[in-house]
Amino acid sequence: MDARNFTFMFYGFLAAWLIVLIYVISLARRGARLKKELDNVKQLLKEPSLTEPRP
Amino acid sequence: MRPIRQVFAVARKDLAIELRTKESLNAAGAFAIAILLLFSFAFDPDSEQTHRMAGGLLWLVFTFAGALVFNRGFARELPNECLDALLSSPLSAPSLLIGKALANFVMLIAVEIVSLIVFGIFYNVQWLNRPWELAALCVLATWGIAILGAVFGALTVNLRLRELMLPVIIYPLLIPLLIAAIELTNTLLSNQPLTPDQLLWGRVLVVFDIVFTSLAFALAETILVN
Amino acid sequence: MREKVAIGLSIAAGLLLTYTLYSMFLVLPDEAMQGAIYRILFFHAPAAIVGMIGYFVALTLSVLYLSSGNFKYDSLAASVIEVSLVFSVVNIVTGSIWARIIWGIWWTWDYRLTSALVCVLIFAGYLMMRKAIEEPTQRARLSSALCIFGCVDVVIVWKSIEWFRNNHPGPVLSIRTGGGTMDPAMEHIFYWNFLALLLIAAALVLVRTRQEATAREIDSLRRLANAI
Repeated sequence: MDARNFTFMFYGFLAAWLIVLIYVISLARRGARLKKELDNVKQLLKEPSLTEPRP
Repeated sequence: MRPIRQVFAVARKDLAIELRTKESLNAAGAFAIAILLLFSFAFDPDSEQTHRMAGGLLWLVFTFAGALVFNRGFARELPNECLDALLSSPLSAPSLLIGKALANFVMLIAVEIVSLIVFGIFYNVQWLNRPWELAALCVLATWGIAILGAVFGALTVNLRLRELMLPVIIYPLLIPLLIAAIELTNTLLSNQPLTPDQLLWGRVLVVFDIVFTSLAFALAETILVN
Repeated sequence: MREKVAIGLSIAAGLLLTYTLYSMFLVLPDEAMQGAIYRILFFHAPAAIVGMIGYFVALTLSVLYLSSGNFKYDSLAASVIEVSLVFSVVNIVTGSIWARIIWGIWWTWDYRLTSALVCVLIFAGYLMMRKAIEEPTQRARLSSALCIFGCVDVVIVWKSIEWFRNNHPGPVLSIRTGGGTMDPAMEHIFYWNFLALLLIAAALVLVRTRQEATAREIDSLRRLANAI
């Protein structure tokens, strides 16, 4: 069988899994960013200047 | 006021504003002529092949020019909070949407007539061979473009990148309508008889119009409520 | 709980993929006319089916959001569309690579490829529009409307382009042809691979939905901080 056949089969599999992997990595990064942002906002709400009544 | 009168009231208002300013009509008309000019460099205007592709060229011109018309449709209501005033008025949401679509439709038909005249002259194409069939085709296809233009004009009116988002969203959705219009236009412009296969495309146009007009009716409140 | 389910689905998908990859490379022979490259079909077609299923699940979720106003349906719809878009891109890219060898060209404007590309464009537009709207209720409402229009159009696009152009290989699965067009052993692996991709898609949707919920929580806490 044509050697290009095997090479392109490999490229096909590589392309499919690379696309999914890139998406999973972007999801992971988005998740980390969201978690950091959530922690920041929760910290902001805990600050005394925000929750203490004004004199 | 009955819904049909509301629709005509909205359309009449928009057309009156447009006739006074001629913003969209001038922009769309000039754009259509510019595109036809550019096509003359991309394709040999006298060749048989270009005449066979005439339908495709025309409907691309109409669609691109249409985007300029839809962008203004709801955007003209933004200054002085006119859109809020319209939404708070006794006008029903479906009447407002269909009225806007009707105004879009009339403006697009005007642009199409000008484009057809210019196209006939520049490309030496006889488009008056079967005027009634061509008119029916233009009415059906233009209504489909107008209703989607009104719906997505309303959807994107408050977005930052409205002028970019509207064409990006609307062009893929218009593909079935454009395929049908292009097939039928090519046949009519080359003065060939319409085969049963091609009449299928006429049915696609009718189905497209009915389905999307009904969806627009059903989702008008969702689309227009702030 | 959701994380455990996502992990469970990923493990199940991993096990299934191990089995299918083993079968594909070490058990099944090369195809008579295409040689080794036919194995791309085991990812190309299931990815397309997973994508299409996703779009219609998103249609249902959009309708549910519009009728109930519950944001979880909107989050789920957006997540499903995003994951379906990834699988649709996998479908198009693997199809191109296959076509380069079998047809000698990267792309042809046949109906299935063109329709697949149109679907990708429609739902990429959906995601672009979501990014452009900051207010959550407006975003949910308009996204749902666009999803409904997009999914209805997908049906019309498919049938129109099918009538317009057709040189893609015809159906080979026995559920469509009644048998005789694909080796049963290959078809068996095809269905298992489809299930594996579906499980991966489900796991990704769960993760993505959780992120949407976190984004909404951040938004509401910010509004609370601003109000205070």
